[in-house]
Amino acid sequence: MTVSFDHALVLAGALFIMGIFCVVVRRNLIMMLLGLEIMLNAASIALVGAALKWHHVEGQAIALFIMAVAATEVSIGLAMIVGFYRRTDTVDPNALEEFK
Amino acid sequence: MLGTLNQQPILYAAVLASVVPLIAFLLIMVVTRRRPRVSAGLSIVAITIAFACSVLLLVRYWGLAALLQVTGTWVTTGQFTVSIGFILDPLSLLMVTVVSGISLLVQVYSLGYMAGDPGFSRYYAYMSLFAWAMISLVLSPNLLQLYVFWELVGVSSYLLIGFWYEKFSASEAGKKAFVMTRLGDVAFLLGLLTLLIPLGNLDVLMLNSPDIGSTMPAGMLTLSALLIFGGVVGKSAQFPLLTWLPDAMEGPTPVSALLHSATMVAAGVFLFARIFPFFSQSPAAMTVFLAIGTISMLLAATMAMVARDIKQVWAYSTISQLGFMIMGLAAGGYVAGVFHLITHAGFKALLFLCAGVFIHVYDSNDMFEIGRQGGRRLKIPMACMIVGAAALSGLPPLSGFFSKEAIIGVLATQDNRLWLGAALVGVVLTAYYTFRLIFIMLFPSAGAPSPPPTSGHGHHGRDYWTMATPLLILAAVTLVLGFAQTPLTQFLLFGVDAGGDHGHGERGLLIAAIAGAVGGVLLAWFEFGRKGSPQIGFVERIPALATLFSERWYLDRIYRWLLDRVVYGVFSRLATWNDERIINDGVDAFSDRLVGSGRILATLHRGMIQYKLLVMFSVVALLGLYFFF
Amino acid sequence: MIIHYAPFPILTTLLMCCVGGLVMILCIPGERKDLIRMVSAIASGLTMVLSTWLFFAYDKTQGGFQFAEKFDWVPSMGITYFNAVDGFSVPMLLLTGIVFFTAVLTSWELEHRVKEFFAMVFLLVTGVFGLFMSMDLFFIFVWFDVSLFPMYLLIAVWGSTRKEYGAMKLTLYLLAGSALILPAIIYLVTVSGLGTFDVIALMTEGSFTPSQQRFAFLLLYIGFGILAGVWPFHTWSPVGHVAAPTSVSMIHAGVLMKIGAFGILRVGMFLCPEGWQYWAHLMAVLAVTGIVYGVFVGLSQTDLKYVIGYSSVSHMGIVGLGLATVTVDGLNGAVFQMFAHGLMTALFFSAVGYIYDRTHTKEIADLGGLSKTMPMATGYFVFAALTGIGVPCLASFWAELTVFIASFQKYPLYGTLAVGALVVSALFMLRVVQQTCFGPGKERWANLSDISPGLGIPRIILVSVIVLFGLFPSLMFDVIQTASIPLIHGLP
Repeated sequence: MTVSFDHALVLAGALFIMGIFCVVVRRNLIMMLLGLEIMLNAASIALVGAALKWHHVEGQAIALFIMAVAATEVSIGLAMIVGFYRRTDTVDPNALEEFK
Repeated sequence: MLGTLNQQPILYAAVLASVVPLIAFLLIMVVTRRRPRVSAGLSIVAITIAFACSVLLLVRYWGLAALLQVTGTWVTTGQFTVSIGFILDPLSLLMVTVVSGISLLVQVYSLGYMAGDPGFSRYYAYMSLFAWAMISLVLSPNLLQLYVFWELVGVSSYLLIGFWYEKFSASEAGKKAFVMTRLGDVAFLLGLLTLLIPLGNLDVLMLNSPDIGSTMPAGMLTLSALLIFGGVVGKSAQFPLLTWLPDAMEGPTPVSALLHSATMVAAGVFLFARIFPFFSQSPAAMTVFLAIGTISMLLAATMAMVARDIKQVWAYSTISQLGFMIMGLAAGGYVAGVFHLITHAGFKALLFLCAGVFIHVYDSNDMFEIGRQGGRRLKIPMACMIVGAAALSGLPPLSGFFSKEAIIGVLATQDNRLWLGAALVGVVLTAYYTFRLIFIMLFPSAGAPSPPPTSGHGHHGRDYWTMATPLLILAAVTLVLGFAQTPLTQFLLFGVDAGGDHGHGERGLLIAAIAGAVGGVLLAWFEFGRKGSPQIGFVERIPALATLFSERWYLDRIYRWLLDRVVYGVFSRLATWNDERIINDGVDAFSDRLVGSGRILATLHRGMIQYKLLVMFSVVALLGLYFFF
Repeated sequence: MIIHYAPFPILTTLLMCCVGGLVMILCIPGERKDLIRMVSAIASGLTMVLSTWLFFAYDKTQGGFQFAEKFDWVPSMGITYFNAVDGFSVPMLLLTGIVFFTAVLTSWELEHRVKEFFAMVFLLVTGVFGLFMSMDLFFIFVWFDVSLFPMYLLIAVWGSTRKEYGAMKLTLYLLAGSALILPAIIYLVTVSGLGTFDVIALMTEGSFTPSQQRFAFLLLYIGFGILAGVWPFHTWSPVGHVAAPTSVSMIHAGVLMKIGAFGILRVGMFLCPEGWQYWAHLMAVLAVTGIVYGVFVGLSQTDLKYVIGYSSVSHMGIVGLGLATVTVDGLNGAVFQMFAHGLMTALFFSAVGYIYDRTHTKEIADLGGLSKTMPMATGYFVFAALTGIGVPCLASFWAELTVFIASFQKYPLYGTLAVGALVVSALFMLRVVQQTCFGPGKERWANLSDISPGLGIPRIILVSVIVLFGLFPSLMFDVIQTASIPLIHGLP
């Protein structure tokens, strides 16, 4: 049984909004990064769903790319957060002001 | 060009005369700079060849009926062409002989005078450059070529006046000479441009043709003539650009001799003579020239009356005599002016070279000092100097007498008697200041000890004779040249009867001129020569006048003031201020503002990342809502 | 327009000498300084030989564009790799070759980061050569920027006297210029509707309406004019000259400023002749202001290099005045002046550079009496000053004379002012000469050594070329005429 495109879109939309909330509301850099990941995955789901619907393989290919990009992004982001934490002893994004 | 040359192989002599000194200059600069004797040899051989060629040409073309001209193209661009070549007419033939002859004598003399100078090679290189420029100048068939060499004459005199560059005053004098003559040259160039644009070329022949007046309006012609005359004023040190010449004494004395007789300053008068028919087309301009010549003549004569430096006296007398020549030319006496130019070249070189011997031996420029040290014991220079001085004063039967008399004769034909009167006053003053110098040196004030000439300069050595020989030659020329007046006149006028040119004055004038000169000499004798004379001139009894004269009528002060206050003080300062404060600071301020406003905007980028994200997402969401629903 | 294609891509070979030299320098390890110098000298010497050959091989009887080579580059956008030379660019190539070689020899004594220095110089000159030979607007712009960006590093790293300020100012000014040129080029290419960047194709009559030409020409004139030191956009140039190291000043004043004037000529005047005629009066006013202004500002400078910088402003004003006359004589004089001024300033800066290397000061008041200790070095300095004054039988005299004649004919007042500036220029040049070289020798400088024969070579080359073209100006005029006459006669 195939999941209909609508369901996939609803799921992706819900995940995306949750991601946004996570990024905007949480006062923690790590949680913000997680939110970003969730948003990326939401986009991937939408793409995969679209690929299924129109029988195009590009959607899945791009989803693969997104995974790769997400992996690098997370690693770099985490490294930066660790560095940031070492200097300031906090992971509060508002403390980033000094780092412009 | 070659075709014409091949028809008359003797014309190669002209090419040779004008090129050999250049080759010598290049060779010395490039190859023999470190070997002074070779350099001097090269230079002298070159100028000897040039002199031989010019004598050959003069003899071959003596009495020629029409001028010869050989030209080729030097530069062609767009609408104008500069040709290069040479013109052989009586004027250029005479001048080239005078120039190369005097250069030769001066260079031989310098062997003694400059012996042992560290810049010996450089000196001879510059001398060759000078000779090349001047010879090519007098042979120029068109004014653009003449201008080219005119400028080169200026450059080489700059180099030679400032030859002893370690002396601050010498390099300063070189600069002054160059800049002041440049001032005249700019007028000259503008004058050339005003002619070049309507006429298309600047051939001397075309300018001198009688119908030039019909090709352009009279006002334009006068303007061009006046502008070109600006060059003459600068080069020949006429009023108001006369102050560079006395300073130019800072160069080695042989250089002064060359500068003041046949080359640099003579170039101005030569230019006048070269395009004399063109200038004569504009009577208004000629009157201006006459006035300028007269003013310079009198002004310089008064300055010479109080000078103590021998070379300075001769320098003022040069300005004065050049003024005299210009008076003669401007009054319409072509032959008289040119004749005086030639005789003056001879006796002025003589006077300077004599002065050089005294300066060399006594190491002083002050005439009183030299007199005290026993200057009269140097018999040959003293005798030669007296010959030269008598010629300068216009005493018969020396060359100066004939040429001066010719000019006075021309001036007498002018309707306005003022010029004649001024000329006679000039004659008296000239005789006075010349013999003032001679008497001071001959009869130093009583009681002064006369120590033997300073040792070390052994004045009877070989150097002495290399210096004395040119003196004797020049003195001999000065003695006899006057009698060549009639043949020279005929030659200059292409053999036409000299009657048309007012070369010969009336008997009354003759007497007046001689009386003036003798009067001047007697006055000098009374004040400086006779036993127990006070040795104070009548001018010095009036302090105000003496100061005015020795300050050169404050002309130098005025120029200094103009330069400091106007050029440096106003133009230069304003421009610099504008550059630094307005343009530069304006640009800097603009970029500072740019950086500043960047900073202000940058504060918006600080922190609050989550609020920004919130705003961003809401905007995107709203946009989505707006577009899709 | 006649185009003669070359059987052998000689122009590309010339470019490849620079690029090849650059690559080789990059491959040599930085410690082998002497090898780097040798390679630079050989490669730059080759460019000089090639450009000299080009100058004499250029067929004056045929004229037009010669040694052309053309390959498609991006056909969809109409970009071609199109090189050719005409009577305007041949002298410029010769100038670049000579100045490049002499600049490399002049910086023989440089010890700091030799490899990077020569690499940057080679990159810079590649851009210059490329611009002078390119006939494609796209490439002209690319080469223009290629030649600008190394300047920043060259000044900021190897310079002196406020070098960061000078480098930054220069770069910003020149980038501002290129920000005007790029839109103008794009505008011209798009409005023509021909879909090509080829200059010769765009030159066909009727490509642009007069109003389009006026607009584009103004942009191009200001954009390139900044680089040419047109008043009042000149202040970067003295500052940059002062900050730059010797050989960079030589290339900068000798060649780079010519790019600006050449750009006005090649792009502005070739493509927008109507715009040129329309703005000619403005150009003349700015040029004359520059001429007079430059000498007066130079008169009161205390730094030796500032003096030369301002003399460049004045001399480039003469180029501008020549271009503004819209006559054959004016163009001939302007291009000749570009050539002569390039040689003259190169000599000037190399002489000053030597003095600075030995005395470590550029303050005129500190110097004095140098002729005693270094007669040769100051001799070159005096020679350059005399060239700058416009002494006859040296190259710049003819250039100035021609420009004066042309401008006097077209704008008598400006011509008079420009001629009048000669007096002040003599005053300020000789003042500097007198205060640095002449006068009593100073104790401080008593032990300095004179220029060595090896370092003398570049100066001797410059002097002899100046004298050669001063004695035989027709060599140059005949070449330039092949381009200026058709350009003027083809004017609408």
